[in-house]
Amino acid sequence: MLTLATWLLATPGPKGVFENPAYLLGLPLLALGALGVLIALSPVEIRWPQWQPGVPEVEELLPPPEGHPTAEVYVRVGLILAAVTALEVVVYYIEALSGALLAILLVLSAGKFALVALWFMHLRFDNRLLSIFFTGGLLLVAALFMVVLASLGASLV
Amino acid sequence: MQHATTVDHPQTSTGIDNRKLLMWLFLASECLFFGGFIGTYLLYRDRNETAPFPTDRTVDGVTYDGLFDIPFTSVSAFVLLMSSVSMVLALAAIQRNNRRGLQIWLMCTALLGMTFLAGQAFEFTEFYHQGLTLHSNLFGTTFFVLTGFHGAHVSVGVIILLSLYVMAGRGRLTHRNSLNVELAGLYWHFVDVVWIVIFTLVYLIQS
Repeated sequence: MLTLATWLLATPGPKGVFENPAYLLGLPLLALGALGVLIALSPVEIRWPQWQPGVPEVEELLPPPEGHPTAEVYVRVGLILAAVTALEVVVYYIEALSGALLAILLVLSAGKFALVALWFMHLRFDNRLLSIFFTGGLLLVAALFMVVLASLGASLV
Repeated sequence: MQHATTVDHPQTSTGIDNRKLLMWLFLASECLFFGGFIGTYLLYRDRNETAPFPTDRTVDGVTYDGLFDIPFTSVSAFVLLMSSVSMVLALAAIQRNNRRGLQIWLMCTALLGMTFLAGQAFEFTEFYHQGLTLHSNLFGTTFFVLTGFHGAHVSVGVIILLSLYVMAGRGRLTHRNSLNVELAGLYWHFVDVVWIVIFTLVYLIQS
């Protein structure tokens, strides 16, 4: 299997959708993910095989922790993230926006970063000390980067 | 605002579980780790004078095709982004004591992570066939080190996810110790936000 996978990956060729192993793997898995979403959001109760003797199959579901969003909110945030990623790629190919490309992409990227950090990593709902730690790390990186750029006379574009 | 949690942990002076505090400190240090590599890539990007190049370029009258395949990398970025969604749904499931949901979403996340890794392996192989190696030029060195370390982080994340899947299958994960899933989720989301930055600064913003 490993040899076959290595051979497939090492075979040169055009990057068509149907010849690219990443697309061939990715598309069925995306379909699987979509099926997972349907199952998770489905109002119909699906009975799965019991995986451990002695453990009751149906357990009492607890309410979400106080202050945390529901699964539906997470899915909506995910859809926004997907839309912003698509927008980034579209902007990249629009010649008329090439002058403002850097600013637009940086803003969109920062927006995605903030959405994941605030909603998925729960910085919006957690103790502020955690935000201070993380922001501190980011500020240190930004400062270090700017100092090095300035000292070497380099620029981002 | 500090949220009420269903996780039992000893009282601490900060009110935060020490393991969670340590994970955030680790992630802050990881910011510097990846910031260094991204900074190095950007610094040397314009100083690379030998082919192959990331984008189309003409040197001494010879035009070279760029290596980057933006549509392909966009799909990879999308896959990793969606894995973050499935990860947070896994946490939401175990916080509600829904172990079946936890297993489904953990496996989805691991599969999406493996898809991303497969895409990265394919991209590296393509680049290698077109003459880009770790020591062929400045672009090769900085690009492979940056994206390679990121891929290594994703690999570690996939191993953690599969371990949690096995633990959940054995009934060792409940809402009371959902912090284990939350910590894995923090790591996974961090790997995702790093790729958000890499995708924009390395692939989309080009000189």
